[in-house]
Amino acid sequence: MEENTSSPNSLPTWIAQPPTYDPPTDRDGFITQSMLSVAGVLSQFRLDDGTAARFSPSAPVKLVVGLAIILLNSLSTNFVFTLVLLAGVLVRVALLPACMLRRVCGVTGAAAALAFVIMLPAILLGQTHSAVLIAGKTLVSVGTCMTIALSTPYHELTAGLRAFHVPSLFIFVLDLALKNIVRLGNVALEVLCALRLRSVGRNTEKTASMGGVSGVVLLKTKASAEETADAMACRGFSGDYRKPAAHTWRAVDAAWAAALVLIVVLFVICESVV
Amino acid sequence: MHIPENYLSPTTCGVLGVAMVPIWAVAIKKVKETVPKEKMPLLGVAAAFSFLAMMFNIPLPGGTTGHAVCGTLIAILFGPWAAVIAVSIALILQAVFFGDGGILALGANCFNMAFVLPLVGYGIYRFIAGRMQGLRGELIAAGAGSYVALNCAALCAAVEFGIQPLLFTDASGAALYCPYPLAVSVPAMMVGHLTIWGAAEVVFTCGILAFIRKVAPGFALHDGPQPARGGRALAPVAILVAVLIALTPLGLLAEGDAWGEWGLEDLAALAGYTPAGMADGWEWSAFMPDYSIGALPDAIGYILCAVIGVALLVIIFRLIAAAMKPSVDFDAA
Repeated sequence: MEENTSSPNSLPTWIAQPPTYDPPTDRDGFITQSMLSVAGVLSQFRLDDGTAARFSPSAPVKLVVGLAIILLNSLSTNFVFTLVLLAGVLVRVALLPACMLRRVCGVTGAAAALAFVIMLPAILLGQTHSAVLIAGKTLVSVGTCMTIALSTPYHELTAGLRAFHVPSLFIFVLDLALKNIVRLGNVALEVLCALRLRSVGRNTEKTASMGGVSGVVLLKTKASAEETADAMACRGFSGDYRKPAAHTWRAVDAAWAAALVLIVVLFVICESVV
Repeated sequence: MHIPENYLSPTTCGVLGVAMVPIWAVAIKKVKETVPKEKMPLLGVAAAFSFLAMMFNIPLPGGTTGHAVCGTLIAILFGPWAAVIAVSIALILQAVFFGDGGILALGANCFNMAFVLPLVGYGIYRFIAGRMQGLRGELIAAGAGSYVALNCAALCAAVEFGIQPLLFTDASGAALYCPYPLAVSVPAMMVGHLTIWGAAEVVFTCGILAFIRKVAPGFALHDGPQPARGGRALAPVAILVAVLIALTPLGLLAEGDAWGEWGLEDLAALAGYTPAGMADGWEWSAFMPDYSIGALPDAIGYILCAVIGVALLVIIFRLIAAAMKPSVDFDAA
């Protein structure tokens, strides 16, 4: 004490000493992995960046065309039909913005590769055609699904569901789930980040904090649900999704509907040839 | 000019394939250095021009057919090394999906059409263009470069065909692979390329180059950034690609095969025997062989194959662009 206060102009000796604290290196694989998986889920569910392209039809038409393509593609036994659909999907994907293109190609390519690997025994048995057919069908169906999801604002998608008499409760749950997955994912990410920053030195019991992270997210979920319900009630939401006003057909919608008719005709012709 | 499967010995294919590896490595390095991220999708469109040009089969009296390649065009627009990559990817797609050119012969086909052709064409173009002024001078340079380059590539292919019976024969002296020696292969390949197909290459190269220079400024590598017209700036190029796709069935009017691209039975009828190495050779079964799709009418199948090929090329080059680091020069600002 005496030394520290002997001279008012000199530094205290304790501050002049080099820091010797060297915490043992910690393995934070658990938190890093958790953060990566949360971020991965977020990137998969972030549908709010969907933007309609210039020649996109309205959401209900898009849903009908997409579902019809997936259904007909699944029912088809003729590879020609799948190739025709593949040509259409490839052209659409080639025109997507760069960020969407990467996501569509990543997911679609992975799905088709998985389908091909699953069908590898068929190749060994001499049925290469079947493996290629299934991989091609997967490419078309997943590509169609991803393109629709990424090129349509999600609120239009849920509104489009109402046009098909999907129950309001189902749409409500879907709507809130889509919104909150991203928000709560961000909360989980922040909590995990805080946990990582506060953890100094070797800590072997990080997994014990999992309950805390889950608890915080659960509490936030409850608060968020109550706030959303109150906010929606304040805005006059009675729990019922109104049907969209009589759908006005645009030229683009009519063109897509005509394309769908052509696809159905081609499907019938292809199936009659097989 | 696409050398099919088993026409060249595996040794020849291996040598040319290995020769292409350092060429591709240098090309990738050069493209990374010279082609900015924003121009990469346009290189995909240029590759689509080459892909479509190769679908336009043009007949020659005598029953043989040939086509343009447009490798010189890509070299002029984006540089010779970018052309190496663009034509190589177009050739890989053609071999894998459409059975046009062999998988084993990919190295040889890339050497002829993706390496020799663009580099020779670009060299001649630069030599002449440096001595002439204006668009007219550039077109003359492009025409001369593309004509000589196509013939150089055809000569390489002819030599590769012609050395097979000299190097690979069985005990009785019969050829194991391509049965025609240099004395036959060189004149047979060169007659068409020196005349009609060389002229077709000049027409494609000069026509597309003049179109791009006049209506799509900003498309080529050294044209600087796009004019402030958004996506509409490239609309004429997109329309040109669509028109070329719609016109591809014209390539079906040419009946018969190109020289050196016959099926096994046709070759046996022409040569009088089936070379042993070809009879036992490996064959890749493409999804859409000869640009046909199942029982669909030929013209529709041809158009659909063109659409699939062009879309795949654009997707591949846009994905490459997305994976590249942005090339912002802060010093320039």
